Amino acid sequence: MEVTTRLTWNDEKRLQKQLGNVSLSLLYKSSVHGFGLRDMVQRCSHQGSTVTMIYLKTNIIGVFMLGNYPTLSKYFEEPHYSFCFLFRSKDNITGTDTFLLNMAPEIADNQLMYRLSDETFFSLCPNNKTLYLLRSVKKKLGLFEGRTMDPFIYGECEVFRVEEFPKGINVHRDRLLEELRAYKPYEDLVSKVHILLLGPVGSGKSSFFNSVKSVFHGRVTRQAIVGSDITSITEQYRTYSVKDGIGGKSLPFMLCDSMGLDETERIGLCMDDIPHILKGCMPDRYQFNPHKPITPQHSAFITSPSLKDRIHCVAYVLDINSINSLSSKMVAKFKQVHKEVLNCGIAHVALLTKVKNYNEVMQISKMLDIPIRNILMVENYASEFELDPVKDVLILSALKQMLRAADDILEDLPLAETGKLVPFCPS
Amino acid sequence: MALTTRLTWLQEKLLQNYFGGKKFSLLYKASVHGFSTVELLERCHNEGPTMTVIYSGDYVMGVYTQESYQERKEVSIILFVLQDTNISKCKMRLLIPWKSDHSGILQSCEGELLINFERKNVKVASKIIENLGLPQNNPISIQDYEVFRCEDLLDERKIEGVTVLRDSLLCTLRTHKPYGDLVPQVRILLLGPTGAGKSSFFNSVKSVFRGHVTCQALVGSDTSGISKKYRTYSIKDGRDGNFLPFILCDTLGLGEEEEGLCIGDVSCILKGHISDRYQFDSMKPITSGHQNYIGSPLVKDRIHCVAFVFDANSVEHLSPEIVVKIKSIRREVIKCGIVHVALLTHVDSMDLITKGDLIETDRCVPIKLKLKAVQREFGFALSDILVVSNYTSEWELDPVKDVLILSALRQMLWAADDFLEDLPPTEEEERMACVFILKITQGA
Repeated sequence: MEVTTRLTWNDEKRLQKQLGNVSLSLLYKSSVHGFGLRDMVQRCSHQGSTVTMIYLKTNIIGVFMLGNYPTLSKYFEEPHYSFCFLFRSKDNITGTDTFLLNMAPEIADNQLMYRLSDETFFSLCPNNKTLYLLRSVKKKLGLFEGRTMDPFIYGECEVFRVEEFPKGINVHRDRLLEELRAYKPYEDLVSKVHILLLGPVGSGKSSFFNSVKSVFHGRVTRQAIVGSDITSITEQYRTYSVKDGIGGKSLPFMLCDSMGLDETERIGLCMDDIPHILKGCMPDRYQFNPHKPITPQHSAFITSPSLKDRIHCVAYVLDINSINSLSSKMVAKFKQVHKEVLNCGIAHVALLTKVKNYNEVMQISKMLDIPIRNILMVENYASEFELDPVKDVLILSALKQMLRAADDILEDLPLAETGKLVPFCPS
Repeated sequence: MALTTRLTWLQEKLLQNYFGGKKFSLLYKASVHGFSTVELLERCHNEGPTMTVIYSGDYVMGVYTQESYQERKEVSIILFVLQDTNISKCKMRLLIPWKSDHSGILQSCEGELLINFERKNVKVASKIIENLGLPQNNPISIQDYEVFRCEDLLDERKIEGVTVLRDSLLCTLRTHKPYGDLVPQVRILLLGPTGAGKSSFFNSVKSVFRGHVTCQALVGSDTSGISKKYRTYSIKDGRDGNFLPFILCDTLGLGEEEEGLCIGDVSCILKGHISDRYQFDSMKPITSGHQNYIGSPLVKDRIHCVAFVFDANSVEHLSPEIVVKIKSIRREVIKCGIVHVALLTHVDSMDLITKGDLIETDRCVPIKLKLKAVQREFGFALSDILVVSNYTSEWELDPVKDVLILSALRQMLWAADDFLEDLPPTEEEERMACVFILKITQGA
């Protein structure tokens, strides 16, 4: 009699990843602890979030509960977050295998069930080893095992405590991925939206690009050099195209990375380089010189940039931990840059990393004169070993907001500008 | 929200190692579930081996039992005390009460130990207290009480899973094709201080693909380092004899002052100017007139990924001169646009590490702390620091080590793909021109 899960080790790790890189502790195993509802409830109550794995003949059904397991004596009035999913023993994860159960789990008639106004969506009866799923739930999970109306017979049931909190995050991540893949710039005025990442040295600009690429590649990437010492400062202007997976086509945006801003004169990005970047005159891989801006005489200078060459959205990237140490000189520099961005009529957002409370967001809004709705929060892949759906959602959401902001600007362009090949900015 | 233990990671680690590499799953916590023997038995009977931890103010006391809790049954237990990092223990037998017993008392058969849940205290006989090295202070108050199920960190199921993963990685790496087929094989340069395990890592990689422990690059403990030549090792796949899609390049180790690899040689290596078996001179870099010098290297000749190799046990004790040298080289690597990773070797010999930790290095606190130390010292991103355990004295392969080695290698190949994908267009056009000319020649 060994209290060990039936999942293989690889499946256990896969389940952990699907739920958002959580830890799992086995609390109840029916073949050891008894096929009775009471046996299950007495071990699983008051443990925090749980996932219940139900082993059918050829499928595994999982139920994640954010709140505590229901008890025999208490009736839960408040619904809390739950979802039912089909667990697959392979790497491809699709969003259609999950059914949201936004209702309260309850114990009644020797069953654990989810029901709403006389309709039972899910019912687990340990004493009979049966699982009933409403037809719409079956359909959503892609289950066609057994006859339509009959409950399933299961062989084993295990309940794990889930440490850390997924929130149906994979579904949301997948939806965002699809939206971004299908995104088209406003009226196809440009084939790709150019997003410029601007910020102080070490604020995470290159990290953000790597994180975006990692999400679409499905693995951690390291194309832009990242690190935490002086050696890894970005010194080149880069326009990164992101492919949709290995061998996939290019996505409809480019991320442009530049040298970091520095409060000291003649260190970091030269202020006179900024208008050239914004107008689209800066060539890819241009080596910055903090002392001297690029000139039209430079061999690779783009002398007549069109709408597609321009920057369409600027993202100010700031590490929230260093906000309070921003000097007045740096703030002044930011305002100077911001003024230039406004002059060019370019969309702009602020991108914050590791935000902990709302006051910090208010502070940024006031300091940089950016509306709250344009302040986005992400956590870059700088300290993780594997992809994390929670971080994915933050990164993809930020990207979506940038593209929306760019669309607003493209929509607002004067009609004359959309057809002409002259720079938009006032000279 | 989730039920969590009061044990610190160090306490948990010490107990894990003490009881033979166990993993602890928290089942019952008195401050949440109630100070009650009834509740305890409801949740914790029929769980196999368990560990019960009693939190007193100054120390942690616990009961370890190999047998399941079952009512009205005697079980052999180990009563232990954890003070700082020391564990002392005493054996006795415990009587498990009936579920219906509401007295809230748990006691040993001889009466030396009496746990009173309702009063939240423990009484231990004087001689036992003396044996455990505790102050004579009865009764001992209980702040909290936790019960864990004990499982082997490395059980048959996990070994099987690791073996499946190892085989999957082997297949993936054997069939890997460099990005866009720009080069036939990816070149990975191993750089690091003398004795860090560069040659040992190469031998380990070769061993994994051969299916048995092998030794081609000489490894020794000579302080000046045995590797004095530049070597580019192409590895044959043990199964069907084809060459693997990567080449590991080994250099002279980095040393202090005038010893070790000459800094001037580094950029030549990176750009692909140095051919196999070039004899390094610590005092003088290679010159364009040398017979091993390649005047016009192609993309396939250059380095596509650099791995800085460090011994996990000595990486925090490198001399300032070596640290400066490594940072200088890293800057050179970045200037050449080459992607790099850091490779920590010999993590298996770190303090407190057991083999069970190696299958989940990302959840192992001592390893995480080591990675953070490397990040602080050299500036590598955490996601760029890989950990392995080289084959040094074994005769048989171990799937746990294999997975670490293959996972690190996969990261390097991905990094090289990132480098190749980012090559300037002229490089690619140049290659296409070469291919075109080649086809014309063949057509004639």
